Amino acid sequence: MPKEIKIKVNGQEIATTDDKMVIQAANDAGIYIPYLCYHPGMKPYGACRMCMVQVEMPPPPNAPAGTAPALVMQASCTVPVRDGLVVHTTNEPVQQTRDVIMDLLLSEHPHGCLTCHRIDLCGPQDICLRHVDVNDRCVTCPKNERCELKDTTRFHTQKQYSALTYQYRNLQVETKDPFFDRDYNLCIVCARCVRACDELRGDVVYGMTERAGQVLVGTALGSSLLESGCEFCGACIDVCPVGALVEKENKWERPSRVMQSVCDECPVGCQITYEVNQWEKVVRAIPELNAPANHGQACYKGKFGYSYVNHKQRIKRPMVRRDGELRQVSWEEAFAAAAEGLAKYKGNQFALIASPRNTNEELYVAQKFARVVMGTNSVDLATNDRPGVYEALADVFGVSAGMVSIDDLNAAKAVLVVSANLTEEQNVVGVPIKQAVRAGTQQLVVIDSREVELTRHATLWLRPYPGTDLAVVGGILRAIVDEGLVSKEFIDARVDGYDDFVKSLAPFTPEAVERETGLGPDRLLAAAKLLATNAPAVFAYALDNSVGGTRRPTARALANLALITGNVGKPGAGLMPLRRGANDQGALDMGAEPFLLPGQAPFNNVAALKRISRAWGAPVPDREGLRVAGAFAAARKGDVKAMLVIGDHLTFEDGTFGDTAAAFDKLEFMVALDQFLSPTAQKADVVFPAAAWLEKQGTYTNLERRVQPLRRVFKNKAVDSRADLDILCALAQRMGADGFAYGDSDDVLAELGMVAPAYAGISHRRLLAEAVKTKKPSNDNPLPTQVLYSDAVPMGLQWPCSAADHPGTPVPFGEGKFTLAVLSWRERPKHDDAQFPLMLTHGRVLLQSGHPMEVVPQGKLNSIKREEYVTLHPADAARMKFAEGQRARMVAATGKSVTGTLRLSEQVPPGVVSLTTLFGELAVELEASTHPDPMNHVPRLEAVPARMEPA
Amino acid sequence: MTDAYQPLRKRADGVWAGLHAKPWIRVSTGLQGMAAGAGEVLEALRAELSRQRVDATVSEVGTTGLCYAEPLVDVHVPGTARTLYHNVTPEQVARIVAEHVKAQRPIAEWAHATADGTLEGVPPRGELPMMKGQVRVALRNAGEIDPLSLEQYVARGGFEGLDKALSGMTREQVVQEVRDSGLRGRGGAAFSTGTKWSFLAGNKSPIKYILCNCEEGDPGAFNDKTILETDPFTLVEGCIIAGYATGASNGIVFIRHGHHEPIERTTRAIEACYEAGLLGKNILGTGFSYDMEVSLVGESYVAGEETALMEAVEGKRSMPRFRPPFPAAVGVWGKPSNINNIKTISYVPEIVRQGAKWFAGIGTERSKGTVIACLSGHIKYPGLLEVPCGITMRHLVEVMGGGEPSGKRIKFLQTGGPLGGMLPAAQLDMVLDFDEMSRAGAMFGSGGLIVCNEDTSIVDLTRVLLAFDQMESCGKCFPCRLGTSHLLEILERACDGRSRPTDLDLMDRVGRNMRAGSLCGHGQLGYNPVSSALKAFADEFKAQMSDAGPIPIPPFVGPRSTRRGAQMTGDTPTAQVYPEFVINLQPVTTASQQPTAAG
Repeated sequence: MPKEIKIKVNGQEIATTDDKMVIQAANDAGIYIPYLCYHPGMKPYGACRMCMVQVEMPPPPNAPAGTAPALVMQASCTVPVRDGLVVHTTNEPVQQTRDVIMDLLLSEHPHGCLTCHRIDLCGPQDICLRHVDVNDRCVTCPKNERCELKDTTRFHTQKQYSALTYQYRNLQVETKDPFFDRDYNLCIVCARCVRACDELRGDVVYGMTERAGQVLVGTALGSSLLESGCEFCGACIDVCPVGALVEKENKWERPSRVMQSVCDECPVGCQITYEVNQWEKVVRAIPELNAPANHGQACYKGKFGYSYVNHKQRIKRPMVRRDGELRQVSWEEAFAAAAEGLAKYKGNQFALIASPRNTNEELYVAQKFARVVMGTNSVDLATNDRPGVYEALADVFGVSAGMVSIDDLNAAKAVLVVSANLTEEQNVVGVPIKQAVRAGTQQLVVIDSREVELTRHATLWLRPYPGTDLAVVGGILRAIVDEGLVSKEFIDARVDGYDDFVKSLAPFTPEAVERETGLGPDRLLAAAKLLATNAPAVFAYALDNSVGGTRRPTARALANLALITGNVGKPGAGLMPLRRGANDQGALDMGAEPFLLPGQAPFNNVAALKRISRAWGAPVPDREGLRVAGAFAAARKGDVKAMLVIGDHLTFEDGTFGDTAAAFDKLEFMVALDQFLSPTAQKADVVFPAAAWLEKQGTYTNLERRVQPLRRVFKNKAVDSRADLDILCALAQRMGADGFAYGDSDDVLAELGMVAPAYAGISHRRLLAEAVKTKKPSNDNPLPTQVLYSDAVPMGLQWPCSAADHPGTPVPFGEGKFTLAVLSWRERPKHDDAQFPLMLTHGRVLLQSGHPMEVVPQGKLNSIKREEYVTLHPADAARMKFAEGQRARMVAATGKSVTGTLRLSEQVPPGVVSLTTLFGELAVELEASTHPDPMNHVPRLEAVPARMEPA
Repeated sequence: MTDAYQPLRKRADGVWAGLHAKPWIRVSTGLQGMAAGAGEVLEALRAELSRQRVDATVSEVGTTGLCYAEPLVDVHVPGTARTLYHNVTPEQVARIVAEHVKAQRPIAEWAHATADGTLEGVPPRGELPMMKGQVRVALRNAGEIDPLSLEQYVARGGFEGLDKALSGMTREQVVQEVRDSGLRGRGGAAFSTGTKWSFLAGNKSPIKYILCNCEEGDPGAFNDKTILETDPFTLVEGCIIAGYATGASNGIVFIRHGHHEPIERTTRAIEACYEAGLLGKNILGTGFSYDMEVSLVGESYVAGEETALMEAVEGKRSMPRFRPPFPAAVGVWGKPSNINNIKTISYVPEIVRQGAKWFAGIGTERSKGTVIACLSGHIKYPGLLEVPCGITMRHLVEVMGGGEPSGKRIKFLQTGGPLGGMLPAAQLDMVLDFDEMSRAGAMFGSGGLIVCNEDTSIVDLTRVLLAFDQMESCGKCFPCRLGTSHLLEILERACDGRSRPTDLDLMDRVGRNMRAGSLCGHGQLGYNPVSSALKAFADEFKAQMSDAGPIPIPPFVGPRSTRRGAQMTGDTPTAQVYPEFVINLQPVTTASQQPTAAG
């Protein structure tokens, strides 16, 4: 623990802790020390020397009494504080040193406006024609008024004319990569981008090039970002103090206000500060540095995928189908049509499909609408295609929830990732893992038949035959038990059913597991040792490759793994189910699930039913409802006749739920709440223009159970939209239901608290009121500008949070006993299908060494062209008479086919064909895409049957 | 003596006796010899020996330090005087073989010196102006032994020091011995080596590194390279002793990529020591284990800075780290490390072998032992000397170096490499002593002494030094990256006669900022050449930079300025950019020893 100490800065005593550098201690105390290369989120670097201070060094012990302490000039970003340290930050020598450094710095940075004598008179929109070259003006810089160099020069004023010669670099701006531009004429070589990419993200896209006066930042050999392995997270842009790295979209847009909300793309729950311009357009997304889940990080989806909210094609008014065509109508007419239509289909002929981007409040109201107004339990999320992932947790722990805080991942000594492409789908979760693995403090075990980015970082990568994750985990469990690596102490205190569990491991012999998975006993033993001897350990899983109903037993086996190694109820330990939608966790908690009532109470639990129907003043249906997949199947059969789909631009095109278009066509009545007239909305009879997540207030619950506030960031003025909450409540009231008159989202949360004790202490108001305050920016203290704008960051609350004064529960399951699940052996599905005898596992990685590739400009952007390699096991190749290096075509059961050069490798299990595509391609595809929302256009990587044929 | 050392010593003595039983010809094929044509001489010699059917041992040795006399062929034939032939050409080889080796008649008119002075008209080696007064400790084997022969090294007392330390001294005693000897770091800072070792010895980490720095990129300095070229075993032995004394687990010799012979010879010396059980597990059967390797880095002067060196060893771009933490706590790969100059470590075997008292007896009160000086520039005998501390610079330059060859006045010495200073001729009576020199603003540093005569323009030379400093800045910290660029621009303007009235003040402003603000020594010392030149030759600067009429300076080669956007001119290999610093390899032209044309 850091110790409390006191230091003296400019004669003023300040309290701080001994883990800080002088600059941080001083800035925290409100004494601003200018800096350019330092960044509060990164390790000290000591390059810009703007933060020079004088430190008093006590005279040596043998000096004569009365000797004055020596004053030593040091960079305050690299001087650790110690008790009694005396620092001067503003005296003459310090000022002079900074003065010259600034002068030197401006000799290679366009600075006409920075040092202009009439800067104070200059309006932000002025174009000064008299004094300065176009290149040297701040007003032509995309980061005008948002630049840290500007803050620093205003704090530390420079003379207009310098005796030093000014040199503009005259370099071409790099504009050919997706998402952001690089203008190295503006670069001050603080290396923040290099460090962010290396230290924070573990990607090392940038390095320093050349040296001395030529030094700059760049990619290796000047290659494009695509070739350099960039994952386009934007971390470099967010730390750039000048205009060198700037987002392409809305490049020159200036914000007129900023506000935080939570990203809607995945369940990580990144808090992001959105910039809105004077025309009510969201122009930029900047991840919040002090946010608990993301600590200033985001991914390409959150950083660049926000802008669909501004889109011109959003649905502008409610619509009703008349004479076979959707016609714009008034809200009143639309409500009337919807109410009249839905009233005919109460009970299980109706299903409600909600969106994972709905807030908790909306999901609560949606399930209440289905249960109370429509009298059915058929309410589910559109992303709920693999319930086994969360059901297993309820089997073992009573509730389904992630146990691990993202923040604690860094401290975990071992992490197991099972069949999860988390660097793409839950990107920011991968950040602390990559950091810890690179720092050498964490062992990473990856079980995946695909090659994904994390397999590159893994200490141990187990590549089983697709669909055999259960056998792999069973094999590891058995190895742990056989080797005596179990945590006896934990099992004795907290675990039941150990003997039955051990007995059920009998079929998981090393031989059987090897036959099934292709993994030898030494590999399983190595994994067992890494996971059982490094505590705390985290078990993260998405089970993308699990098939044939094995997800639930596999997740249970993983729960066993956590329990027998004692990794439950401790910080940095436990299970981390990885789902896809932003509020998937909230949907479970709200009861937007056919088998769960609010508070995750089972729908057939009599006590819960009674409690909830009393609270609602209405009966709760006790008949089993349908999950989303079942609802579509029933619709195709004609059993479900009406649906309400909260689309939020969901698509159902990946085939998981079968032919959804046919299901919609078969419906007799359909209501859609959507932002775009998507293929789904086009099928509806009544369409309501729904507000985007940035236009509404509410809460999301992320995968660490953290409830975080969404705020009304902006309102698209061209669109007459309403929040889903308001639409559903109005509709319910129109249909004569009571209990849908909520004032605001907090009223919904208050009602939720009554039926779900875990949420009882949570309100939107509280989340905002307890936000951690930081300072407001000002010219005297530009610090907050440099740590991004936030003046208050909500920390969220991790449920259970039972009362208004309960601090939330970062680490659940700290007490109580849990019963180990009994495992049963499941044969993998055999693909002896003559048409598709192989399984295709296609992975996606940033870069592959040994893959010759070429960057080709397509239109305005670069993309990567390369020879595809299709990899087969040598035995399969021999059997099918294929030879290494031959051209061959892989045809998947989905109809997709890829032609490439054949490679033989024993790394691929027999019966599997492996294909790895580049992330870079995807990034270009996304940016060039006409689809406004990237979230749903990341093709999933699942094992599919395939065959090989000669090309 | 350990049991394991005895047989090694015995074998070595046998080899040594065998070498002296028949003709033994040593050709100096170090950097300096090869540049002067030793390669062709060696080839001719081997051909001639086989043509004339002479049974003789030919060894390639490093330089003796008499660079002006290269290629140097050292012929020892039993029964005749051991004779050094200077500036040998391939054409001369046949006669040397025929007359000296075969007929045992040394050729006096080509001889530069003999070992004992028994050849008439030829001075004994010790009486050569450049050799007289030298005390050779680190260079004791230079030119004497085949640098790749472990036996030859051992025969001359090699590994006795290690044997003594391992068999009879505790770690603390070794550290104390080094401390008592008064040895100070030869890398420039002149910090007490024993004290530095004790910091590392006090750290309990199981993995600790001893780093030996042979980055040596200074123009005008070639002593570290020479040690590795002439006698790599001395460095290896010193490094093992340092490892024992400090309880370190690994030694890394860090050499700049491109120093081909030093890399090759050090690598092979380390291999030989592994084979002989002098490195690896259980050294000399004493239970002490230690590993050593050579680590390379691309051409970068800053990589010689200790923290940048650690980055380079880790395979990163060599840019300095900030301190604290200091290397003794967090060094290479985050482990405690100790960085020593090659020269410093090379003294250690003899200090342990002969004792601290012996070493402390050489030199002055505060500067013990010897220093290795590299003489170049306008001087008669350019070369490498090892002299005891305390002799005057005047003696070193005018007597041992032979003074200015053309009879012109010496204007100043450039000392301590491109980050060092200018020592005006008026101060030549200064005693060679670390403290005294640094007080005079002319640090001894890398050991390079470039003699400049009255024709040298101080402004132009300062510009050349700054061009080096600028180009070698790593570009990390702003004061150094931009400060050196601007200083160079100002000096370029001065040389071109385009100075601005504010330039002198500007130089001072920028230079003082570099000193106060830079991250590492490169920037902190980067203003030294200018400030020391200004101190002694302010008038010349003022004249050069005045409107009245700058002194014309011939157009220079090299980079004019290397800021982005500024124009670059041509390639910049060292010899092209810094022609003043290329070692003078002109043949000796003294009247008595005028070589005749090849016969």
